Amino acid sequence: MTDTLLAASDLRLTFGSGAHRVAALRGVSLTLGTAEAIGIVGESGSGKSTLARILVGLQLPDAGTVLFRDRSIYAGRQTYPGALRREVQMVFQDPYGSLNPRMTALAAVAEACRFHDSCSAAEAQARSLELLARMGIGEADSHKKPRQLSGGQRQRVSVARALSARPSILVADEPTSAIDQSAQAQLLNLFRGLLGQGLSIILISHDLAVIRYLTRRVYVMRDGEFVEAGATASVFEAPQHPYTQALIASIPGHQPRIQEPTP
Amino acid sequence: MTTKPVTAPLVDVRDLKIGIARGGGDPLVVVDRANFQLHAGEMLGLIGESGSGKTMVCRALIGTLARRGAKVLDGAIRLGALDLVAADEAIWRQVRGRRLGYVPQSALAGLNPVMTIGDQLAEAIAQRPTPNRTNAAAVARELLEIVAIHRPETVLQQYPGQLSGGMRQRIMIACAIAPGPDVIVADEPTTGLDVTVQAGIMQLLRDIRARLGTAIILVSHDLALVDAYCDHVVVMHAGACVESASVSRIASPRHPYTAALNRSRIELAVPGSDLITIAGAPPAVGAWPPGCRFAERCEIVQSDCRRGDHPGLRGLNGHATACLHPDLMVAAE
Repeated sequence: MTDTLLAASDLRLTFGSGAHRVAALRGVSLTLGTAEAIGIVGESGSGKSTLARILVGLQLPDAGTVLFRDRSIYAGRQTYPGALRREVQMVFQDPYGSLNPRMTALAAVAEACRFHDSCSAAEAQARSLELLARMGIGEADSHKKPRQLSGGQRQRVSVARALSARPSILVADEPTSAIDQSAQAQLLNLFRGLLGQGLSIILISHDLAVIRYLTRRVYVMRDGEFVEAGATASVFEAPQHPYTQALIASIPGHQPRIQEPTP
Repeated sequence: MTTKPVTAPLVDVRDLKIGIARGGGDPLVVVDRANFQLHAGEMLGLIGESGSGKTMVCRALIGTLARRGAKVLDGAIRLGALDLVAADEAIWRQVRGRRLGYVPQSALAGLNPVMTIGDQLAEAIAQRPTPNRTNAAAVARELLEIVAIHRPETVLQQYPGQLSGGMRQRIMIACAIAPGPDVIVADEPTTGLDVTVQAGIMQLLRDIRARLGTAIILVSHDLALVDAYCDHVVVMHAGACVESASVSRIASPRHPYTAALNRSRIELAVPGSDLITIAGAPPAVGAWPPGCRFAERCEIVQSDCRRGDHPGLRGLNGHATACLHPDLMVAAE
């Protein structure tokens, strides 16, 4: 087992008030090791995106703790104060909505570089080109704006932006949902490469194939709670909780196939 | 040896060419050489990456190209004996919704947010050849029962915003089947829905086909989904149909693009191994090279692949390919 990089325990959060109270998280705990990929699966409304927002510090929980390298990520109302700021970065589902439509790919990444490091424009430019090249985006494409790029390229620009902070953890919320299959394969290969270089990844998805391929451990979420957690391979092979069993049974191809009339 | 039923196809698309009007110059051709046939009661999967032209083919089928400034430049679409390319708006009003139902990707966009579900269903039921207005409420309840919505009385009074994504898609399907169409065109009907909800919707489409005999065209980029639910698959790449075969035969593809798609399937990959991706990108619309449009990315490309028009579908036993050298594929595997 790898050393623990991030540990969340007993996270609770309720939205709304009075009769409209919705418990989004009801005591959720997880751990993430160095260079480890974990998956969080569940339906829309199960609380996975809320959990992601708490783990990257965009949302404060009502109760519970998040420790990064055994230190709380909270300082008053601030999250990830000071040098911790860069450690956890996020990639969102919709790469079109998360990139400025008027900025080229290069400018978008360079902006993020300069935000995290005080460096000259030329240095930021050089580093951005290098990051984009690692993402498989060549010099010619780096001068394009989001609408001139394919969905898969846009998503890789978003990853380059996130990596510009030199984070230890990447939280990816449905990163493959909006892109074509061969672009998904490209992105997943990229993620595997990053894991090999020591990055840790929290992958949130309702696509079980993607989770099974990339992650070593998986948490299954329902109604703000984890109903099952364990090694990905064993959860997929022998799901214990009825809900996990239903999820796995819903994968296309798991239903009894209708055979065409045989000759 | 399987042979296609000798009955005439319900929908017959031949050498369809679609262009988008550009100020002044020639139209931008976005689909060229779309060819497929749909038989009664069949579920056909139309597969392709974004930009392959599958949604444009969909729009041509339901007669909504003009709304996007596009039109059919050449080729034929037949619904039974009816020529849909030559059809005027009066004929389309008899066909669209009535004989050809449509389920869009986003059910929120397809439903009117300020009308109750009951009123929207009543509108769809009024499209029936012989509408029975006195009985519309009973028909609406029956439709909700077919699409497996419980508490129909409550749902009929509700607005789309009060329902979940899966419920809304069920309502869209109820509206599509209400007039009793021969064909339903479903454009990525489960994209953005949860897997369990997706499974429910696909099961529902399958039930409708079995119960009402409706033929279904499922447009998708998800090979696994088409593999699990369809009888026949048509693969599109850069505006052209490149392979057409039954689901069981497509497992042994005869076009390198289909083979590459099969190999990049994530659910079939071994965790920890590299996924195989397709090198390069499809040629941009308007910049199609001569000859086969997959040639740039193809492992078995030959010199004659880069000449002339895009090759048409040719084949035996209902398995057609646009590849000029499918026999080389077996050697490459």
